[in-house]
Order: sequence, then structure tokens, then C-alpha cells
Amino acid sequence: VIDSSDVLVVDDDPDLREVVRTILSLSGYEVRCAGNGQEAVEAVAQKLPAVVLLDMLMPVMDGWQCARELQARYGRAVPIVVVTAAEHARARADQIGGIDDVLSKPFEMDDLLRVVSRYAAKIEPGIRSS
Amino acid sequence: MPAREIWLIGEPAIERRVALAVVIAFVIAGSAWIFLSDLLLYAVVHDRTVIARFETAKGCAFVGLTAWLLYAITLRSVAQLTKANRTIFAVLESIGDGVLLLESDRTIAYANPASIGMLGVAKLADLQGMGAPEFSRRFHVSYLDGSLVPPDQFVSQRVFDEPGPIRYKSVLYPPGAREVVISCTAAGVRPEIGKTADIVVSVMHDITVTEHLDRLRDELFTSTAHAIKTPVTVIKSAAQLLSAVGSSEVRRSTVMIDRQCERVQQLVENLLLLSRIRSGTLQLYPADVDLVPVVKEIGSEMAGLSSRHVIDVQLDAHPRIRADRERIVTVLRNAIDGATRASRPGGPVTVRLTRFGNDAEVAISYQPQLSNGEADDQCPNATDFDDMGVARYVTTVIVEAHGGRLTEQTIDDVTTIRMRFPAEGVV
Repeated sequence: VIDSSDVLVVDDDPDLREVVRTILSLSGYEVRCAGNGQEAVEAVAQKLPAVVLLDMLMPVMDGWQCARELQARYGRAVPIVVVTAAEHARARADQIGGIDDVLSKPFEMDDLLRVVSRYAAKIEPGIRSS
Repeated sequence: MPAREIWLIGEPAIERRVALAVVIAFVIAGSAWIFLSDLLLYAVVHDRTVIARFETAKGCAFVGLTAWLLYAITLRSVAQLTKANRTIFAVLESIGDGVLLLESDRTIAYANPASIGMLGVAKLADLQGMGAPEFSRRFHVSYLDGSLVPPDQFVSQRVFDEPGPIRYKSVLYPPGAREVVISCTAAGVRPEIGKTADIVVSVMHDITVTEHLDRLRDELFTSTAHAIKTPVTVIKSAAQLLSAVGSSEVRRSTVMIDRQCERVQQLVENLLLLSRIRSGTLQLYPADVDLVPVVKEIGSEMAGLSSRHVIDVQLDAHPRIRADRERIVTVLRNAIDGATRASRPGGPVTVRLTRFGNDAEVAISYQPQLSNGEADDQCPNATDFDDMGVARYVTTVIVEAHGGRLTEQTIDDVTTIRMRFPAEGVV
């Protein structure tokens, strides 16, 4: 069962996780965080999120591996948004397939909210909507 | 061309002229000697027997004198040649670059100690007589991209028939030794200009360390550019979060933070691209790009970052180009940023998307800052305000890599930066 307001933020940088969590929480989403691909796979196994915001360069299990693992387990049921600083990430995502969106770092808050709103529903209006 | 240079590259006509001059001088001097000495002899002596004896003595003296002259000239020439040979040999032996000499059968005749060390062989004899196919088998001569250099494409082989010097970079893999990156040049010694070379001199300059440093620099730029994006994202997002919940004073500060983050990001991006350009590893991922949304997006983004200028975006055409969208975004940012920084405070900056023949044109116009008492042509332009010209250089290279052209022109106090790209379709 997919929680339509649940957003899973996967990034090895705790500050980035925290700031994204704050933005999304204040905007009315429910947010969970994971520090690497392995933790993300475990978090998805506990509860299917509405969308996974997935960094690519991470220790233990990187983003591309994690995306392949999630696709193998859940198919296209869990939308994956790649959040990366890499160049030409969209071209690479298109090559690999199964990636729903790409958000390039550094991103604007509005871009983040626009991408998340495509896949997740707010549980409350949040500061950005008020 | 000065005579000395012609002499150095070997001009047979000059060699023949010098030889002919010596022979003519000898013929004239010899004939004059015979004629004048005979005249003198016939005037002084009348006895035929005595004359015959004198003529025999004169002939012997002439042969003796010319023999002595020939000996002196030959000795001097041979000594000079020997000295030149020894000098060349000393240079070859002591030079730090590897030097190979190839004979007309296109095999190695000589290799200096540096090349013996570079190729990891024990002695000169291991290389003597070696042709290009055998050299290729032993040292796996490759281009920098890893593909093998065909033996007939070695510069030392090509230069037998082509005018030199020819130059390229390649990698050698001596058996049991580390790989060597070389910059290789070759030039031929020809009997006459345009003819096949008799001897080829090939010089191998070891650039392994330089190439390694270049690679390290590229990796440093790449990893720095990548690593800096996450902190910039955190700072920008946190500032925007503060702006959303903070007072107007806080909002003003967060706008500054945002602006400076963009500048850091842009500078790092340009340094990364510069490094790629210098190392020849700049890659483009061309796709069909609609310029209208790109120009709109970047115009709006740059307007949001500029506190001193109004950026007016005019879309007079709807062109599509074959381009790498990320790189096009970078060049637009660079050009608009350069214009806003060079523009006089509060001056308008216009970004106009239009068509020019079959090309799509983005023209960025601004009024350059006035400098006190200086002539107009000394007014600063956009290049003076971009970081040491990096942004301008990167922008120019990327525009040209797309088959386009970048120009800048000032007419009547308005400077216009024009970027033209071949368009696929213009409405």
C-alpha cells in the first residue's frame, strides 16, 4: 500500500536531508530520510512511499544500484526522482530507464516542490500553499 | 627565405653553385699559371732542351702545389665534418628526449640512450634494424584514447613521404615497464625538397608526468564541481526556507545569499568546462532543443538574481536547434551575467531571440558603464567583468562547438553580444 503523502529522501549529506525534510514537512508532506541506498531499500520495504528522492553518489549502496534494486522489487510502483550533482544526469537516467524525473543540484525550492507534487499528495496545506 | 636557412634545409642548387665556383677558380688560376709562366719562360730562355726541363719542373711544381692544396682543403673539411659529427653525436647522446634515426629502408639505424631507457631495452642493438610493424608489436603504440596507431601511421613512417615535421601524442607500453606517454615528432632529411627522405629523425618527448598532472587537475575540477553542488544546494535551500518564513530584512539577506551561491556555482561550472576544453574531453550530448523555453527560463532566472537591472526578454522567433541543452544554458547564463555586470547601474539588459538567415540568434544588449574622461573605446565590456575571461572563453568554445558564432559589437553606446546557432526550424 502506497502512502500518497510519504516522501523518502535519500542522501548521504545530513544537512541536505534536513533542509529538504524541513521544506517538505512545512509544505505539508510526510517525510522519511535515509543515508544511503541500502537504508532506502529497507525504508521502502517497511512502507511504500509516494516518491523517492534519490541521490546518486552515496556510500554502501549508490543511487543507481538502489534504483535498480527498487525497480526489481516493486517495478514502477515507486516513482524515483534522481537528485544529483552529476552532469547530463537526465541522459544517463534515460539510458538506464525506470527513472521518473531528474532534479539537478543545486535546485530551487520551487523546483523541488513542483517535482514532489507530481507524485505525492499533501496531508495538510503547509506554508507554501497558505 | 634567408640563404642560411636554405643552406640548413639542404638546397642542392646552392651546393652545386659552390662546387662550380671552386672548380672555375681552380681552372682560371691553373690556366693563368700555365700561360703566364710559359710566357715568362719563353722570354727568358731560348734553348729548347732547357725549356723542356723547366716545363717538366713547372708541371711537377704545379702537381705538388695542387696536391698540397687538395690535402689542406680535404684535411680541413674532414676535420670539420668529424667535429660536426662528434657534436651531433654528443647532442644525441646527452639529450633528455628519445631520438631515433631511421634509414631509407625505414628501419631504426640509431637510438640515443634516452630512447633506449624510454623503450626499456637493454642496448642499441635491440632496436637497430627494427621496422614499424615490429615496433608496434613490441611497444603497443596507442593513441591517448587507447586505440592502436597503425604502423604506417607512425610519424616516423609518414614523414618519409609527407612534408614534416609531423607531431602527435601517443602511449607506449614497453614490456615489463610502466606506460610512457610521449609527444612524438619526426622530420625527414631529403636529397631535395619534395623528394622521399633518405633519413628520418624522430624525437620522443616523455610527457607522462605532465599528462598525469593534467588528468589529476581534471579530476580535481570534476570532483570539486561535483562536491560543491551539495553545499550550495543546502545553503540555497536553507536561505529560501528562511526567506519563506522570515521578515523582509531576512528576505533581503537571503536574496544576497542566493545570488552569491549562483556566482560560486557558475564559476565552478566554468572552471570545470575550461579544464575539459583544455584536456580535449569536453563532450556534448546534442538533442532537439526548443530555444524559447530555455531563453525564457534563463532570462527569468538571471532577472531574479540581478538587483540592479531589468532584464527584458523578447522572443521574436521560435527556433529549434540541435544542441546540448545543459551547455546552452551555461552559455546563456554566462552571456547575460557578463552583460549585467558590464552594464551601467540600472541600465536595461535586453535578451532577444530572433532569426538571422538560417540561424537562430540570441542577442544580449546593454549600455556599457561610462568611465570618467576616457574614450568610449576604453569603456569596460562584458569580458572585463567575467572571471579573468574564463566565462567568455568557455562560452565562445561551446558556441563554436555547436557550429555557431559569438560576436560582440558596440554601436551608439549599446553593446550587443550575439550568439548564432544553426537552426533546425525557425518559425
